[in-house]
Formats: sequence, C-alpha cells, structure tokens
Amino acid sequence: MTSEAHPRLNPVRGAAALLAVPALVLVIGHFLPTYPLRVLDMILLYAVLGLGLNIVVGYAGLLDLGFVAFYAIGAYSWALLASGQFDIHLPFALVLFIGAGLAGLAGILLGIPVLRLRGDYLAIVTLGFGEIIRVLMNNLDGLTNGPQGIARIDEATLFGWTLATPLDFLYLLVGLLAVAFLFVWRIQESALGTALAAVREDQDAARGCGIDTTRVKLVAFGTSAMIGGACGVIFAAMQRFVSPESFTFWESLVIVLVIVVGGLGNPFGALLGATLLILVPELLRAWADYRLLLYGMALVLVILARPRGLIARDYGPSWLMRRLGGG
Amino acid sequence: MLRFDHVTKQFGALKAVDDVSFEVKPGIITAVIGPNGAGKSTLVNMAAGSYSVSSGRILVGEVELQKLPKHRIAHAGLSRTYQNIRLFDGMSVLKNLEVALVPSGIAPLVADTFGLTGRAAAEARREKCHAVLAKLGLAAYAQRNAGSLAYGQQKLVELARAVVCEPRVLLLDEPAAGLNHGETEQLKQHILALRAPGLAMVLIEHDMKLIMAISDTIVVMNRGRVLAQGTAADIRANTEVQEAYLGQPGAIRDIEAAARGRRNRVRLREGEGLTWHQP
Repeated sequence: MTSEAHPRLNPVRGAAALLAVPALVLVIGHFLPTYPLRVLDMILLYAVLGLGLNIVVGYAGLLDLGFVAFYAIGAYSWALLASGQFDIHLPFALVLFIGAGLAGLAGILLGIPVLRLRGDYLAIVTLGFGEIIRVLMNNLDGLTNGPQGIARIDEATLFGWTLATPLDFLYLLVGLLAVAFLFVWRIQESALGTALAAVREDQDAARGCGIDTTRVKLVAFGTSAMIGGACGVIFAAMQRFVSPESFTFWESLVIVLVIVVGGLGNPFGALLGATLLILVPELLRAWADYRLLLYGMALVLVILARPRGLIARDYGPSWLMRRLGGG
Repeated sequence: MLRFDHVTKQFGALKAVDDVSFEVKPGIITAVIGPNGAGKSTLVNMAAGSYSVSSGRILVGEVELQKLPKHRIAHAGLSRTYQNIRLFDGMSVLKNLEVALVPSGIAPLVADTFGLTGRAAAEARREKCHAVLAKLGLAAYAQRNAGSLAYGQQKLVELARAVVCEPRVLLLDEPAAGLNHGETEQLKQHILALRAPGLAMVLIEHDMKLIMAISDTIVVMNRGRVLAQGTAADIRANTEVQEAYLGQPGAIRDIEAAARGRRNRVRLREGEGLTWHQP
C-alpha cells in the first residue's frame, strides 16, 4: 500500500514537467507584442494572487473577501518607499520583503480577532477589512496622496537588473510564480496542509485531534497575506502608479473567482482560473457593450456545470507527479 | 489514570451530571452504562473539552483537563470517538489519521513545511498510521476517501484515528451503535486487542451483551449520578441497580433488552434508586 501511495518519482520526468511550462511561457513572451505581453503579465500576477488566496479559501475553507487589502498594502509599500512622495528610495528586493512582511503582519492582526468567526460572518468581516484599507488609502491624503494616487514611482532594479519592459516583468513573475507554486504545494503536502484540511472538513473534530485551529488558521492567513503583499509590490513596480481605485472589492472578487472557477484547493486551478478570468475579458473587448454580460454568463455556466471548479481538488501537482512517476 | 472528582454539569436548572466521582484505571476497560439522559455523554464531552465543567475536576495523571483548551486535551493524552461519526469526509483515510499526529507549535510546523526536519519525521508518522490501519484491518482503504466508506468501516477509521496518537485515555462513545452483529463482533475483538497496560479505556455503550463480554468494571449512572460500580457480575447481581432501572429486582434480562435498543428508553419512577451511594 505504501509503495502504491508514494511511487518513486522519475526525477527526469518530474524536472521536465516542472521546467517545461515556465520555459514555454518565457519563449512565447519573446514573440509577443507589448499589449498581449502585458496581459500575460497580469495573468501570471493573478495566478500568484490565486495561489496565495487558495491557502485560506481552498485549503482552510475560510472565505476571505478582503484579500485585495493585502495586495494594496504591498503596492503602497513600494509606492511610498520608492518614490518622490517622501523622497525615500529603497531597493526593490528589500521592499519586496517589507511589503510581504507588512501584509503578513496585517493578516495576522486581522486574523486574531476575526478567526473565531466562521463561514458567512468571516466573509463579511474580511470584506469590511478590504474596504477599510481602501478607504484609508483614499483619505490619508498626507500619506497616500488620497484619490490622486502616487505617480512617478521608481523603476525597480533587482541586483543590477532594471525591470523596465513587460518582458522583464514576465521573467520576474515566472520566477515568483514558480516559487509560490512550489511553496503552496509544499504547504498542501506538509503537516500544516493536513491540519488546514482538517480545519476545513470539521473544525471541532480537528480540535479534538489536538489541532490548535486558531494557530493554524493564523499561519494560513499570514502566509496568504504575505503572498498578496509581494504581488502588490510587483504590481506597483509594474504600473509605476498606484491609487485606491485599483483595490476595490471587485478585485477581491476576481481573485476569489480565479480559484473558484479554476478549482478550489488546487494550484493548477489557480493557474487556469487566472488565465481564463484575465484573458476572456480581453478577448471580449470587441463586444465591449456585452463584455461583462458575456463574462458573467460564462462564470455562471462554469459554476453550474462544474461546482468543484474546472480542475477538482484531487487533480493537483501531487496527482500529476504520481501519474508521471508511475507511467 | 482518568479521574472524575466531584464533577457537576449544569444546563440551566438541569443537573446533567451531579457530583460524579470515579476513577478509570489503566490496563482495563471501564464501561459507563445507564438509561438515556443519565449523563454519560455529557461526562465524555466534558472530559474531551466539548462542554465546560460547571464544577469539579477531571484529571489525567496530574493534569486538570477542565483547565485546558480543547486541543491541548488531546496532547494531555486523552482521545475519543464520537457517538455520531465525525471523520474528515473529504480526506483519505490515511490523512484522517495523520491529522492526529500533526506536530503542535509553530516552529515544528514551519520546519515541516520547508522540509527542514527531513522526510524522516513525516515518513515515520505515515508509517505509524499504516501500522494502526493494518492492525484494525483497514490497510486496503488507506487511500480511499473516508466519506466513501461503509458505516462500519468509518466507525473503525474513527477508532484508528483515536488510537494513532497513542493516548493514555481512550473514550469510546457508543462504538457499536448502528453496527450489525458481525461488525459488533469484529469491533469487540479490536477493542480487546487495544487493551494495553498504559491505556485506560472508557466504553459508553447500550449493547449490554458487548458490555458484559468485555468490560472489566462497570459504572452505572442514572440521572446524572453514579448509582453503582463493580464487575459485570456485581452489577448483574446488584438488586438496587435492577430496582433503579426497572423498579423491580431480578429482571436483568429485561434490563438488557431495554438497554440494547436506544429506542427502548428506560424510564425511572420518581424517587427510586436515587438514594443509592456507592460503597
């Protein structure tokens, strides 16, 4: 039974599978004109956001409707710490950590009071938190420049490599996506993932089995927020402009949809979901008037036809590795 | 090993458990019996931390369980099964067991996530789960979703999940409820096989045949109080227990029949048997 459950992985096939897709994306990126390349960047960014949110929503089963708050905290970290706003110009790599750290801290601070709530109540409180952060950004004129936002943000340089073009960001995002993917996969397969799954299935029984549910939920909230924060830093560096408008409830909803449509609790689902949810509206630009209508109908159809998402939970990276290794 | 010390549970005006004191010794099986509403499940739920304790102490060794948060109770060495099965349905049987072995504390969790502890620790936990599954005849179901198993198998998986963390006290809340004759027989063998010098087992059950067959000592509860305690033979012979159950002595067969089915609720007449105190 043990050998059947854990077949020896063929390392060559495993590595090939892991490297083939990002390499392909980079090759494609070199042939794309600027506009589609920007779309591809956004797809990757939303994929990473989806992977991050999946830890809370997909693994732990806690509906978080305020994820955009952490994204905003990351974005404003770069906007404030690398611009003329306060004439602070910190290096990108450092701010990446600061933004992720601040977002993670915000996640834990939010989590301490609200994680006692369950289901709909938690969703409503997180939604409120997302709005609070946006309203703060809108009104703290002295700090964030209010609704005008912060423009003329520094160009990001990472160890001498200047991130100027969308292609540069494609490389950065492919790297980030790979790291985030391996990270969330590790979480899923580790004891923490087991604990989160138990929280999702039956919180009281999990406590009866000795799981400190509050603690593992906090860890999930914090890690997920950190990934959101890192994405925010990159977003601000990419746009070189931030304003509260970019962090509305709609953004939180899109990220939730990315993982619900793609497949809750499945890292592949986040990738597929991000691709569809970013690409389809772009393709529908030709029918601008009906765009949101068609988009909405497509979402409803997906949810009706495949309530567990396009790629169900069980068909994640571990499943793929088993298939590749066993075959 | 497990000691109830003047434990009381009050639900509003109702005393579900009323000044109960008894000790559960390691190495033996202690059955707690009594009609519905006697307070058996309340007692288990208090010990496991699901209910708060109104007054009194519940001790495992020197540790006072009523002071601990629920998840710490498992770490103190007490684990349980549920009257209504509470497995993690969407997870494999193996994962269900692994939940009970998740290391506590942030540092070990983080170390495990990043593989800092190496694969050996995780592998050791998995092997332990496989060993328990094999012992309970569940090896073939390790990768199946727990929710997809038959009722009797789910009951056994719950038992496996409760024992995989090597508890010092095991509370079995109606393990035979809903099982057919063959499954009950199988369960009996498994429970007997689990008996170990360091393990105190508490069995709450309505199946009198099972109780009489495997219990080393029996605690009879009624209306929140302990009515009698003794071996199966003692309890059978105890006229006051019989009186308390049915209002007339010498009707042990009726007691067994009545207690067998949960639907046959045993009713007690006012004032009878309540004056009994254990020696």
